[in-house]
Formats: sequence, structure tokens, C-alpha cells
Amino acid sequence: MADQQQQPSSLPSSRTDDGSGMENRWRDIDRLLLRSGNLVGPGFEPGPELREALENDFRVLVIGAGGLGCELLKDLALSGFGHIDVIDMDTIDVSNLNRQFLFRIVVSFGSIRSSLSSKARAICGWKSCTAVGVDCRMQDVGKPKSEVAAARVMQRVKGVTVIPHFCKIEDKDIAFYKDFQIIVLGLDSLEARSYINSVICGFVEYEEDGSPDLSTIKPLVDGGTEGFKGHARVIIPGITPCFHCSLWLFPPQITFPLCTLAETPRSPAHCIEYAHLIQWGQDRIGEYFDADNPEHMKWIYDQALKRGEQFNISGITYSLTQGVVKNIVPAIASTNAVVAATCALETLKIATMCSTGMDIYMQYTGTEGIYLRTVPHDKDRNCIICSPGVPLEVDKSITLQKFIDTLLKDSRFKLKLSKPSVSYHGNNLYMQAPAVLEEMTRPNLQEQLLRLMGGETSDVLNINDRRLTGVLRVRVTFREGADTIDMDTAGT
Amino acid sequence: MESVSELLTEQEAAIYDRQIRIWGADAQRKLSKARILVVGITGVVAETCKNIVLAGIGSLVLMDDSPMTFEASAANFLVPFDELEGQGNSIATVCASSLRDFNPMVQVSVEEGGISSKPDEFYDRFDAVIMGRSSLTLRTQVNEACRKRPHRVAFYSVDCRGTCGSLFVDLQRHSFTSKKAGDDKAAQQDISFPSLQEALNVPWSSFNKRTSKLLFALRIIDQFEVDVGRRPGQLSSQDLPDLISYRGKMCAIQKVPESFVPDNLLQKLASVGGTELPPVCAIIGGILGQELIKAMSCKGEPLKNFFFFDASDGKGIIECVVPSQMNDH
Repeated sequence: MADQQQQPSSLPSSRTDDGSGMENRWRDIDRLLLRSGNLVGPGFEPGPELREALENDFRVLVIGAGGLGCELLKDLALSGFGHIDVIDMDTIDVSNLNRQFLFRIVVSFGSIRSSLSSKARAICGWKSCTAVGVDCRMQDVGKPKSEVAAARVMQRVKGVTVIPHFCKIEDKDIAFYKDFQIIVLGLDSLEARSYINSVICGFVEYEEDGSPDLSTIKPLVDGGTEGFKGHARVIIPGITPCFHCSLWLFPPQITFPLCTLAETPRSPAHCIEYAHLIQWGQDRIGEYFDADNPEHMKWIYDQALKRGEQFNISGITYSLTQGVVKNIVPAIASTNAVVAATCALETLKIATMCSTGMDIYMQYTGTEGIYLRTVPHDKDRNCIICSPGVPLEVDKSITLQKFIDTLLKDSRFKLKLSKPSVSYHGNNLYMQAPAVLEEMTRPNLQEQLLRLMGGETSDVLNINDRRLTGVLRVRVTFREGADTIDMDTAGT
Repeated sequence: MESVSELLTEQEAAIYDRQIRIWGADAQRKLSKARILVVGITGVVAETCKNIVLAGIGSLVLMDDSPMTFEASAANFLVPFDELEGQGNSIATVCASSLRDFNPMVQVSVEEGGISSKPDEFYDRFDAVIMGRSSLTLRTQVNEACRKRPHRVAFYSVDCRGTCGSLFVDLQRHSFTSKKAGDDKAAQQDISFPSLQEALNVPWSSFNKRTSKLLFALRIIDQFEVDVGRRPGQLSSQDLPDLISYRGKMCAIQKVPESFVPDNLLQKLASVGGTELPPVCAIIGGILGQELIKAMSCKGEPLKNFFFFDASDGKGIIECVVPSQMNDH
């Protein structure tokens, strides 16, 4: 449209440049990106290039296409991000449909038949079903979540590209994650969060003074929900606490002591877990318990009921049995909506610096009224995942071999190491693999570590290990040992 | 052979399993009888509709005759892009069609005409009314109409402007059960809400210093829009000088200093006009959706009675604005 070119402050054309008045589509986002103000982040420069960058230059990865994932994809696409990848290893289940709105349950009406069985009508069962339908189908159940979600978002928001990945996060090469500027998590497990946290923290390189090289930092926006409660937070590895530093924020996961299950059950869950964890192994020897097998679940339920009767515990239902055995997390749409949107907002802020970022953790509780609070935290300087150098004092005379032995005995690293390789400022001091490198670096094991480090009394070594997802950075400080001799004072 | 109604419940039980584990089958049944009216469909209202439809309310009636435009679709996920091309459909019609896809078990329909022309008996068809962006005059009018009906019609009004969002709740007299921390059983409680007009009449001088500034800023904007006859959400930076002198007048009437309402807050709100940010709509829509579910299921303490949110600092604040003579719960 000719007159658009004459307006000096006209909004840039949007994705489909067909002159159909589409410019106004991004009017809302542009309000944020085309103006300055006293709440913008450092280095914010208002301008149409920002929205173009969001559309063209940014790649965001969304991990999880479930309750949070669906909401995240919608919010990010509507906010102007043009290239989104989504990864999820699950297929769609009917119990997802109360909140994962990108997945549909659809009644498709087949041809009208003159005589209908009441059973067919009953299976249809829609309250609003007035037509005479015979062909009811749960459209999406069983399909991969990532693929259906990607397709639906692209259908609804013109111009966004969403690439699905139907696999586990561990199945991807670590290099895969390097392609994204920001990673947003809609995960449901601590282990998955821990994994991706280690990957991202492993990418960070540190300067001599322990400060991170900004170009190696990939921010992580993490959301989590359970029933009415949820949290959203921003992790900027090297600067804010990483997931590992702040593990204490998560409530302890519920496990029951075996003695309680065996001797003194008090709750329905105790009865159920007894049947699940103890009785099954005793009474159905060698049989693998399959939680999706209704006969197995019914067996657990029956045994739990009996135990409940024995100990005078009521309240054991089939539904509860499923919930306890499968560790079902109750979930509703609104909590996911709030948490995902908060994450999307932070992602937008990080990408454009259009407003002050969250500092750094938000808790949402929807039960008694509403509780929405942001809390700043400090990172743990000795966190083994994200620290620029976990301190370790060693003897001046120590050899590389002894140093490795010390690492393996240190309670902080024990569980994370099995066969550690050591490098110093990019030089391999000792490599466990491949065989050729191992042979080449083996003589170093007998060398004095201080000498291998060029005489530096305190510096950072990088430890790699197949058990580690990222890298363990250890700041070694050499101290005077009891058996070393100060050559200058010897003889006086 | 089971009856159709039992099989219906089985169907619902499968889909609603995850939420029934939270609020119970009884609450879910109450929810499935709830009849909701929504007036004025902005982005935040669309989000709310998504949440309550997914949750399984009984029926939803949409009222918004405005024509579909690209601007309207910017923050509204219910509008498929291709359907915008001159088909002459109203926003309500387009959104209704999408909502039916989200949950075919909910009856979604469209009501034409303006709300102010509806007779009093119109509200008897509903258990709750949600007003989207509308003039303060219309909001108070609808709120009064709801309060006159023989059975309780819950009232909500919601609006999002830029990074800010606000919510007002009036459940009149409401009974609910809630489990306090440390208690074994849920206890029944009663709570009463002032009307919108009663809340508006509370003098500003009675508020404490920590009250959210958004409360006053939005009130000024609401009143300004009414007094100069502007459509809600049509303000721009050019209105700022008039808005500032209007603030002076209102603060003088209310006997509070002008610093009560910071310049930069008014400037921010004026310059965004009526534009909505999708993630802010999703947050407020999530909270409002949950409030409606609590009210209809009578489970859980409802928000009383104003909520303000600003994405700039991520803070969500509840303000309880009641006339002093009301027995405060």
C-alpha cells in the first residue's frame, strides 16, 4: 500500500508482505520494541530491527510439548519469535486433553445410518451431540506430542516455523543445543532439568578472574507446575545460580521408608506402595510389573484394599492406586497458563532487553487466593556444575596421578567421576580415551602437577568424565607440604 | 448395559482425570453445570475462555459483535489467521468455533446485540458474567443488574494494557470450603463482596501507602475515558497532558497528593492505549480462569476483590477494597 511508505514511523511490514494491512498485526509487540523508557534493560535500542531479529535471527528451543509446552509455543509464536524448535519424547494420552489444548478430541460424523445402536450413540456421548454420528475418533491420542503441537501452532500463527523433535533430550548430540540462543523448559522431572542444566553450564567458558565469557552463555528459562502451584525462573549460567546450586528450592520428593510400608502403614498410599513394591515381588515372582496393564493395576488395588482392611485404613480407591503407582501429577490448565506465560515474557525480555528481567525466581500458588512473588538468589560459588573453579587445596609435591586419586576420593565429586581426564588451559594433561591419547599422556601421571601447570600456585583445571554431562572446573591451590624443603632456608 | 449418562461420566473422567485428582469429582460436576457469559472478547478474555472451556464448564455464551480484524487477532490465539479475509464474521463467531474444538463437551454459543440493551431477565440464564474491556459506566451497570437477580450471578471484569493487567471480582455472598494448612478436614467459610460501585466509592485517603499505584492510575484512566467520551483503550501519548490535569482534579477531590499516581505510570498506560501483550493476557487469563473455577465449584478461597499485575517487575498484587461499614471477612 503506497501510503505506508510515506509514514516516517510506519511499522515494518510483517511476515507476509502482501500489503493487506498485516502491519498492524504486530502492533502490540512493537509498542514494547519501538520505545525506550526507564524500565528497559541495559543496551536496549528501540527499533524495528528488534522485531525482525525476533522473527529471523533468533532460534528458541522449547523442551517439552505437554502442559507447559503447548502454552509456551502459543505465547512465543504470538510474541513474534519466528523460529522455534520443540522436543518431546511422549505421545498424546487422553488425560492430557484437559489442558494441552493443541491436542484435540474430535467427533467426526460419518454417514447417517438409519438404525443406530444405542451403544454407538452412548460411546459418542457428547452432550451437544445432536447429529446421528457413528464414527467417533479421538483424533490425536497416540500421536507424538511434538509433531502435533508444531503443526497446530504453525496452522494458527502465520509465518512461524516450528520444528518438532520426537526423542529424548539425551538422544541429541550436545552440539545440537549450541544452535539455540535461548532454551525454555517445560519439563516434569528433576533429572531432565539437571541434564540440560549441565549441558548449558558446560558451554560456559571463564576468564582468568572467574568471570564468564558472555558469548558462551545461553540463558535457560525454567518453568514447573504441579496442581495449583508453579514456578518460573531464569538461569543465566555463570551469573545466576544454576539449577544445581538451587536444588534445595525443590521440595523433597515423597518416598516412604520400607519399615513404614512393611510394619506400620498409616495412609492409603502406604498400603498401595506395599502391594506395589513388596507384595508383587513376593507373590508374582519374576513377573514384570506393567503400570499400563489394567490387570496388574487391579491386582495392586485389590491387595492394597485387603491391607487397608487389615490395618483399618480407609480411602483406598482405584484412582488413588493409579495415582500413587504411576506417580501421577495432578494438573490444570490455568496454572500452566500463568507459568508458561511468565517464562515467555522472560524469554522476550532476554531476547530484546525491552524490560528489566525477572530477578530471578517467581513462585505462583493458586490455592488460597493468589500468591505471586519474585525472589532474588545468589549462586553457589562452589557449585560443581556452574562454578568457575571449585576450590581444592593440594600439596605442592603432588603428582598428577595422586591428584586424580584425590579427586576420586573427594566427597563432592565422587558420584560424578569414574575415569576423569584432566586438561589445563586447553592442553591435555591426561586423557583416559582414546587409546592413542591415553598412551601419549600417560607419562604425565608421574609428573609433579605444579610443574605441569607451569609453576602457577593457583589456577583452574578442567575435568572431563563420561559421567559428567558438562565439565567440572577445579581451582587448584598448592600449599606447602610437611615434607617439602624450602631451598632458600635449608641449612640455616 | 450402562446408561448413556454413566458412560458420559466415564468419558469426562478420562479427560478430566488430572484435574479431578485436584478438586474432586464433586467440584467437577458443579463446574459442568456452570453457565458463563462473556462480554467483549479481547486477548485476555480469549485466554480465560480457553481455560474454562478446557476445564469443562457447562456452557459459554460469547457476546462481541465487533468485526474480525488483524489487530484483534494479534493477541488472540482463538482466531485462525486465514479466517480474517473479509468474511464478515464477528469476533464472537470466530472464537466460538475455535473453542468448540478445544472441548466438544462444552456448549459454546454466540449472542448478538449489545449487553446494555438486554432486559434484566437476560442475566438469569447465567451463573457468572465476565466483562472484558468496557467503559466504567457499562461495567457498573452490568454489575448492578447481576446483583438484582434472584439467584447469585458472579461478576468479573478484566483488562490488559501493555505490560499491565487488572481484575475485579464480585461474588456477592459466597460460601466455599477450603483446607487450611495443618487441618485434617476442609472447613466451610462465608465471605461477602462489595459491589463495583461500593468499591469505587471508597475514598482514596483511606488506602495505605503500600496500595498498588495501578489501582489509582487505572481508575483515573477509566474515569477520564468516560468523562471525555472516549472508547476504552483508545488513549495515546497525546492524551497525557489532559490525563495529568485530570489526575490533578481527581486527587483534589479525593484529598490526596498528586504524587499518589506517578507520572511515568500514567505515561506508560497512555502510550500503550489498548494494546495487549500475549504473555500478559495468558497470565491474567490463567488467574481469572482459576478464580471462576473456584467460584463455580465453591472450593478454594476466592480473590477479594482487585488484582493488579505488571510484567515489568513480575509482581501480582491483591487489593481488598471494601467500604468501612462492611463486615470485613
